[in-house]
Amino acid sequence: MGNDRNRVTRRAFGGGVFSAGVVVSSLAGIAPSFAQGAPKRGGTLVATWGGGEPQACYVPAGGGSSPTFSSSKLFERLAKRAMDGKFEGVLAESWKPSADFKTYTLKIRKGVKFHDGKDMTVDDVVFSIGEIWKKYAAAAAMTDFAGVEAPDADTVVVKYNTPTPEFFFSSALCGIVSYVVPKHIYAGSDPVTNPANNAPIGTGPWKFKEWVRGSHFEYVKNENYWQKDLPYMDRLIIRYVRDPAGRAAAMEAGDIQIGVFNPVAPPDIKRLTGTGKFVATPKGYEESVWSTTLECNMRNPVFAKREVRQAMFHAIDRSFIAKTVYYGYARPGTSPIYSPNTAFFTADTYKTGFDPKKAAALLDAAGYPKKADGKRFTVNLLAAGWFTENGKIGAYVKQALEDAGVGVNLSVPDRPTSIKRIYTDYDYDMAISNQANPSEPIPSTTQYFTTDGIKKGVPFRNANGYSNPEVDALVEKIKVETDPAKRRELVFQFQKIITVEAPLLPLVEIESITVASTRVQNHSNDPNYLAASWADIWLAS
Amino acid sequence: MRRFEFLGRFSRNRGALVGAVLILVVALMALLAPLFFPVDPLRIVGQPELWPGEDPDFPLGTDSLGRDMLSMIVHGARATLLIGLFASAVATLIGVSVGATAGYFGGWIDEIAMRAAELFQTIPNLIFVLTIVVILGSTLTNIVIAIGIVSWTPIARMTRAEFLSLRDREFVQACRAMGMGDLRIIVGEILPNALPPVIVLSSLVVAGAILFESAVSFLGLGDPNVASWGRLVGDGRLLIRSSWYICAIPGVAIMITVLCLNLIGDGLNDALNPKLRDR
Repeated sequence: MGNDRNRVTRRAFGGGVFSAGVVVSSLAGIAPSFAQGAPKRGGTLVATWGGGEPQACYVPAGGGSSPTFSSSKLFERLAKRAMDGKFEGVLAESWKPSADFKTYTLKIRKGVKFHDGKDMTVDDVVFSIGEIWKKYAAAAAMTDFAGVEAPDADTVVVKYNTPTPEFFFSSALCGIVSYVVPKHIYAGSDPVTNPANNAPIGTGPWKFKEWVRGSHFEYVKNENYWQKDLPYMDRLIIRYVRDPAGRAAAMEAGDIQIGVFNPVAPPDIKRLTGTGKFVATPKGYEESVWSTTLECNMRNPVFAKREVRQAMFHAIDRSFIAKTVYYGYARPGTSPIYSPNTAFFTADTYKTGFDPKKAAALLDAAGYPKKADGKRFTVNLLAAGWFTENGKIGAYVKQALEDAGVGVNLSVPDRPTSIKRIYTDYDYDMAISNQANPSEPIPSTTQYFTTDGIKKGVPFRNANGYSNPEVDALVEKIKVETDPAKRRELVFQFQKIITVEAPLLPLVEIESITVASTRVQNHSNDPNYLAASWADIWLAS
Repeated sequence: MRRFEFLGRFSRNRGALVGAVLILVVALMALLAPLFFPVDPLRIVGQPELWPGEDPDFPLGTDSLGRDMLSMIVHGARATLLIGLFASAVATLIGVSVGATAGYFGGWIDEIAMRAAELFQTIPNLIFVLTIVVILGSTLTNIVIAIGIVSWTPIARMTRAEFLSLRDREFVQACRAMGMGDLRIIVGEILPNALPPVIVLSSLVVAGAILFESAVSFLGLGDPNVASWGRLVGDGRLLIRSSWYICAIPGVAIMITVLCLNLIGDGLNDALNPKLRDR
């Protein structure tokens, strides 16, 4: 299957992911929708995403993709990453490290106003970094943070206890919820329960107008936005539709113009683009690459030998998963750092490709021959039910492992139960789960493998209890290595060790898709477009 | 003689006869499934999303992973019927015990039993089933228990009503006068007389249980190790615009089975309820 399908043509992965180029060639040969002529001003854009309504419009600790999507239009960060991989200032104009890389000096943009008319000052930046980032938004990444201060009205100085690599620091400035929030609203309150979280006051191109619960957010143009002439449109509506089929219908009816992060089921993507009225693009997810992972709980003694863990991966045909479960909108994963990550990915790692014979040989050699009933041992496989695909992958992995002589009891619990069983109760032998990682591997990638990532009850960490002094030492080195080339080499080394050890590896890297009406211009132009400000989007007539 | 009379009355209801025959076919299918399809029905055997008729090896096509639809339907009949029967048995057991006790003894026992029944009735059934399955875990046994727990109240009320009307009849009083124990009167004397309408209701609970199981599986909370019809419908719902047969085939199977069970219920009602004997 697949060959006869006219689908989105994809980037050559592993090659320059940030390279620009024609991404979409729909059936009717519609040109990709990047800026065509002068932007048209005014009008209303209705957007949606492939998930549900958030718990609050803004959640200081992140709270998942849903509040990130809704808050990122209202708040801004100090910096952002461009499609070419370069860092650009947003609310910070520039930043530079000291000679020992323990201090960073930022120049803060002047003339920026919050939506309530008050000026944004260095005090707001100091408050945001010291109180909100350190405690909530980027707590895991700021373990060596020593303090922040503002020596004058346009300078902020951030201090660290240890040398801090520039890529790490710049990535921190672009953290998905590392916003500059108004001190006059948040100081002296508990940021988590501050009522302003449901009607945020930020500096972004869009101003909060109302939240009709169960339906939509309405944002209006920020007339005093610091970037002249932006935003182009008058109103932005973020509408929530529970069901992918419902989203497809709403898009076809013209009620919704753009949907980010897999708004419709894969077969519907083909149907929508086939009408010539929609484009689909995998662009805009380079800084938030999702994967589906398989992990082995080290608390089960059968997984003590790494050969057993490797055998589990050798038994599974990852291309089958990519092709059948994801309809080709995924590719086999090879390393804990994902292939679109041009800064740190290496293909030179240990490969656990599909090889049932090798899997059987490894298991035999590890002391688990087939017993009289044809089984070597039996495991409980948990497929986290937050994505429907995981259940399907669970069904396939069950079969693949059973073919290798491993008995499997599959369960597909719902989201809260899955999180509890994996991260609190450790009640699984193998789990199928998902991660989304930015380019900077510390801490988002490494915390799945380091000993300090074992935190009972904290989701999306090292649940397997994998602990290897070699990995811990390497990650400590990556943390403080300020020479970019040497740091890259260390991250390569990390990938080699992890792929051999195989406590947790990606089965596939998922290709997230944005579906938009051909009228929508200037979209998918940020490496994490779901979390971008959408100031320059406009709608052609 | 009486047996033939019963069959005659049952078959006078044409719908019931058709229903019974079709259910028999489904039951046979369920029994003989491993004979026709010895391979695990959840095994991926072919190309995904083959339409019915596209490949002679898979007359009903394949699902989104490439599993044989026909094999899953036939094996699914097993799971689905078993769930229906066992859930109905659980519900009948609870319902008859509670209803009989409440109706026979009356007084505060009755009060407590009926208030408990009302408590169960006020919770929306499906939500209650989902809650129980989420708490206990998605296994076949737990789903059966959950459906039994929500379905017993009508049976309890029916049994209680029958007991209320029977407990003071002459034959019961005669038994009491003879010094028969309560348990013996309940089980040996009143229950056989109270049973006909309860049986009708139980047959309807089988149909309801199949629908509950389908709903639970549709929402992704079914037992993933078992091929049931509801699970198939749930798996296929994302593909409803492109490969609608994945939903439609098991959907039709569920519809026919539930319809037949209802028809059988009607037939049983005609056969067992003497008041409607000459309707």
